Amino acid sequence: MKTFIKVTEIWIPDKNRTKLEFGSGLYGALTEFKTASEQQRFAYDEGLPGKAWSAGHPIVLNQFEHSYFKRTEAAQKAGLTCGIALPIFSGDFLLAVVVFLCGDDEDYAGAIEVWSNEPNEFSLHVMDGYYGTLEHFESISRQIYMPKGQGIPGIAWATGMPVLREDIGKVNEFIRSADAQQAGITTVLGIPVGNSDQQSYVMTFLSAKATPIAKRIQIWIPDLPGKKLVCQQGFSKNSNNLAEIFETITVKKGDGALGRVWLTGMPVISGNLDEAQYNPELDSLNSMLAIPVIEQGSLKAIVSFLF
Amino acid sequence: MLNVLLVEIDITDNLLENALSIIGFEVLKTQYDALFLTLVKETRPDILIFNLDTPPENLIHDLHILNLQFPLPVVIFSSDSRNETINKVMKAEVSALIIDGLTGHRINSVIQVAVARFKQQQVLKEALEEARHQLEDRKQIDRAKAILIKTQNFSEDEAYHTLRKLAMDRNITLGEMARNVIAMADLLK
Repeated sequence: MKTFIKVTEIWIPDKNRTKLEFGSGLYGALTEFKTASEQQRFAYDEGLPGKAWSAGHPIVLNQFEHSYFKRTEAAQKAGLTCGIALPIFSGDFLLAVVVFLCGDDEDYAGAIEVWSNEPNEFSLHVMDGYYGTLEHFESISRQIYMPKGQGIPGIAWATGMPVLREDIGKVNEFIRSADAQQAGITTVLGIPVGNSDQQSYVMTFLSAKATPIAKRIQIWIPDLPGKKLVCQQGFSKNSNNLAEIFETITVKKGDGALGRVWLTGMPVISGNLDEAQYNPELDSLNSMLAIPVIEQGSLKAIVSFLF
Repeated sequence: MLNVLLVEIDITDNLLENALSIIGFEVLKTQYDALFLTLVKETRPDILIFNLDTPPENLIHDLHILNLQFPLPVVIFSSDSRNETINKVMKAEVSALIIDGLTGHRINSVIQVAVARFKQQQVLKEALEEARHQLEDRKQIDRAKAILIKTQNFSEDEAYHTLRKLAMDRNITLGEMARNVIAMADLLK
């Protein structure tokens, strides 16, 4: 199964916390690009991760050529055409930057958007987005305003929690359902990405059935006493009873990859990172990106992308 | 008609080549050099026959590689009777090593025995590989069961039946399903 996201990276502050260095990444078969990336470092406001750091919110870069992107040649060789950087903050302090890289637009139907509101306004609009070949859907999306509590971005904003919906052509909550159906988009994931008193951001990942965002997406949340993580929702294109079995387990703080995310607030990549064994056609899940959703210094949820 | 790649020390010596041709083999004669493995892969003979005083160290190394990549019956006629040489050659899984025994009337039977021995060795090798594979599968299944017992509070029976059902639902072997379970558990480590 091919997925919409081709590369995922985690960039972390170095020991002086003044630059970003390579933490970990999932590159699939793109070994040359991986090699080009592992030695990179980014200062504050430098390159895609650095820009997200200085901006304080997610950044979308639709074109690498003649931009501030530092790995343009390697990215072009790897067929990567767009990057989205998601900074993870706790208060004013950066914990990490997660970078998603996409490409091969004609083969993949999907979109990644960053929604935000104007200060003191109670509706979100698309600040920027990557839509691949979905020009009509992009045009509609850029004109829409989502009130707080409405639409997937609006619900994520209101609740402060990630929202995952499938078959969105039939979902009333999804304001753009007719346009999504026309574009072949079937699934949407909305993730609130921290906010100040005045400004909020929500990232949305939209994808078609044939090219999902990831093989499986899970949302884990702390239980009511706050002692364990439980899986609130798990979704994949095809049912996965193995994943469902593992989604019944509970996770203590500090235990395993998800427990580490909870303990540290840092995103984590786990699983088989060995590109020699990579085979996108295998149905088994063998790598995971787990991203924390943090609000006022506390973990609200973890979104995991399984590849 | 079987194809023989004949490796001679003295390329001008036609005795063995003629004897093989009379028997009915198709013979390609060469000397041993650095391109030996390439020649074997390109010509794809049915049998390799060497007529040497002493098998050189490089040849022993090449024979090991050949066994892995392109196994075939190998017969060596040699005059070196030292134990050390014999041991090295046998470790290279040569089908027949004839010391000072190159006589016209024996060649055909030597080759036939070598081919038969080679075939039997291959059958044993395959059986060994299959047994190793099954043992590895068994270990992985036990490991996957242990994971299910620990994470799901299953009994051993429940763990086994869950694993079996998961495998059947996906139309894969129990061993492959066990590896999927282990991979899933590793993701959460």
